[in-house]
Amino acid sequence: MIQKKICMLGGFAVGKTSLVRRFVSNVFSDHYQTTIGVTVEKKSVMAGEQGVLLMLWDLYGEDEFQHVRESYLRGSSGYIVVMDGTRRATLETALALQETAVKTMGPVPFVSIINKVDVRSQWEIDEREIEQLRARGWTVLFGSAKLGQGVEELFLSVATQIMQAVPLSSERA
Amino acid sequence: MRHQPLHSVPSDDPLFNRVLSTLDIAVLERDEHSGEFQLQGMAPEWWHMRVGPESCTMLDLAQWSPFLREYVAADHPAWTAESGTVEKSGAWTESDGQGGTVTLEATVLSMESRTILLIERLGSGFEQMRAIVQRARECMLAEDVTVKAHHKTETRLINQLEVSERTKDGALALLQYLRLAALVLDEHGRITFASDRGLELLGISTREVIGLKWEEVFPIHQQDRVIFREMIKAPSDRRTAGPFYINSSHPAWIELDIHRDPRHPGCHILVMNDRTELHALRRELNEQASFHDLVGKSPAMLRVYQLVRDVASVDTTVLIEGETGTGKELIARAIHSSSGRRNKPFIAANCAGLTDSILTSQLFGHRRGAFTGAVNDQQGLFEAAEGGTLFLDEIGDIPPPVQTALLRVLQEKEITRLGESRPRKVDVRVLAATHHNLSEDVIRGSFRADLLYRIRIARVQLPPLRERREDIPLLAHSFLMTICAASGKTIDPLSPETLHGLMSYVWPGNVRELRSAIEFAVISCRRAEVSLSDLPPEIVGTPGVPTLAPWIPLQDRDEKSRLLAALSDAKGNRTEAAKRLGVSRATFYRRLVELNIQPR
Ligand SMILES: Nc1nc2c(ncn2[C@@H]2O[C@H](COP(=O)(O)OP(=O)(O)O)[C@@H](O)[C@H]2O)c(=O)[nH]1
Ligand SMILES: [Mg+2]
Repeated sequence: MIQKKICMLGGFAVGKTSLVRRFVSNVFSDHYQTTIGVTVEKKSVMAGEQGVLLMLWDLYGEDEFQHVRESYLRGSSGYIVVMDGTRRATLETALALQETAVKTMGPVPFVSIINKVDVRSQWEIDEREIEQLRARGWTVLFGSAKLGQGVEELFLSVATQIMQAVPLSSERA
Repeated sequence: MRHQPLHSVPSDDPLFNRVLSTLDIAVLERDEHSGEFQLQGMAPEWWHMRVGPESCTMLDLAQWSPFLREYVAADHPAWTAESGTVEKSGAWTESDGQGGTVTLEATVLSMESRTILLIERLGSGFEQMRAIVQRARECMLAEDVTVKAHHKTETRLINQLEVSERTKDGALALLQYLRLAALVLDEHGRITFASDRGLELLGISTREVIGLKWEEVFPIHQQDRVIFREMIKAPSDRRTAGPFYINSSHPAWIELDIHRDPRHPGCHILVMNDRTELHALRRELNEQASFHDLVGKSPAMLRVYQLVRDVASVDTTVLIEGETGTGKELIARAIHSSSGRRNKPFIAANCAGLTDSILTSQLFGHRRGAFTGAVNDQQGLFEAAEGGTLFLDEIGDIPPPVQTALLRVLQEKEITRLGESRPRKVDVRVLAATHHNLSEDVIRGSFRADLLYRIRIARVQLPPLRERREDIPLLAHSFLMTICAASGKTIDPLSPETLHGLMSYVWPGNVRELRSAIEFAVISCRRAEVSLSDLPPEIVGTPGVPTLAPWIPLQDRDEKSRLLAALSDAKGNRTEAAKRLGVSRATFYRRLVELNIQPR
């Protein structure tokens, strides 16, 4: 089966790990366990007719304590940028990380998600800012790892875009 | 881990193997042919958990760890032997196969033609680091929550402020809409708010009054400022000041309601009321309370004032009728000074008790030697009043020859001095006054009918004081002021009791008698207050007892003169007179008796 490396990018505690775990194991924990280093999870999906094994690289969150190593990003077919709707600062981190990603990986498909839509009333990121992201050509989804909302769609969306973007012959098995 | 001279240490050295395994480091070398990694020496503890039994010494990276495969596959600076650099993979986490995880870190070394891979399990040092980072991040998240809570509070406060601003704006809009003239002063007397209407009333066109002191802004007189300042200082919650005259391009009279601001001690809310119209009305009323030197605002007097204004504008003779002391000369003066002749002389002559010749010479003048004592040529009052007004008081007392001369002057507008034959042109307006009923005098034959008609072209009838008692306080007060001013005495305003006494008396001598009574009282009173006992005894002695009216009430008087006129026209024939009036002879007789007419 075709394998695809997908990196989870975003500030710390935005819910990267939670999204991956919800997607892969359908579990969620309110307890925050910071990710240090990288955990790679696998899950196969059907992208259209095609089955793909997604290798989900859950990277540690970008912040003042840890900077994402560019080497982790190499070889990615696509990436997911995660933001926390309740923290405006995670939007800036997302923008910076996406720039790094473009530099390292080139123009590979990516999808962004604003997580924690279950606490929408506490969101700091507003409609105008979301519109600005979309104006930059970003796909912006809303979701909740806690409720499982928009999680399948997120990963499927990236997988589908990757499968459409890259010709079969260049796949690495 | 440093770039150690591993090549000098045999991979099967038992000591080294033990050391590495104790440090949880696996050493693997790549098989040139299969590309697989072969465990060298002893397997570390985690190997069992992660890879399998000790016997299994081959590691299929693709299967075993996608992360490591990526790491090894990447172009790595360490692949170039010469570089001598050691670069670590960074930590990654793998499942330990027992529900837990192991965190590992890899290093690839290129040694001559051999590729060595070290995999180290990160132990307690790493856990410590992770714990620190975890705590730090938790702290940041907690701080974020606090900041957000603060922010929320701030937003709520701002919203509340906005709401209260809106409420305030609403209240202000209402103020403006109601055109309420309002101003707010702070504890220093500075204006903190002014409604549009307020500024308009004060005649201020700019809004830049906020922050200014009221003294700098209010265009009021100095003495009003003093009053207003005192009013503001007064302790009561609400008081009214003014009316003050606003000296602006739109002069106005304003009254100020001063309210203490209940929320801010020391602050005041001023509500201004435009009293301009009211003030004008009041002034008009006050003006009517006196007319020229006449005092009184009773309906009867107001009618007199109007009549005076009416007759002043025409140049006819006027007969002023009224009891003695009612102020007939004042009426004459008022007519004169309201007329076009006001800048010419006003001459008053009392015709009572003068002989024929004296009166004639007084009125018309005489030539030297015209009579004994006429040592000089003398002009008469007519000539003296040239262009102006001659007031003939007690005209009913003029003897018949003078009546004839007077009639001629009125008809011809010329006089002839006594002892002269050449007439002189005169332009004089004659005003006459009498306390008689001249119609009766005509009937009696003591007054020429043609002269009466000549002088009675217009008539002003002055009411006696008892018919306008409501003017008594005003008159009394006015006399008190002038008498006090003249005598230098200070007397309090009359007490209600004194006024009551004055109003109960019938005043046969009318206003003149009232004036004398006040004079008497001012002289006799020993204190600053005029009491009843200070008044002349006849006034205090006969309260409420009217003396016999020497004057017939107006309506009767009209009827009486009608009857007399009819009698006169009928040359004394009562039957004829009754017929002329359209009444029966019996009724005519009865009225003659009732009205006390005794035809001669
Ligand atoms: N309410 C809510 N909390 C979430 C959601 N996703 C993650 N979290 C919480 O956010 C914190 C950080 O999540 P985590 O997945 O570790 O974030 P990561 O650092 O980006 O991997 C944890 O306490 C999660 O329980 C979500 O959708 N809704
Ligand atoms: Mg994580």
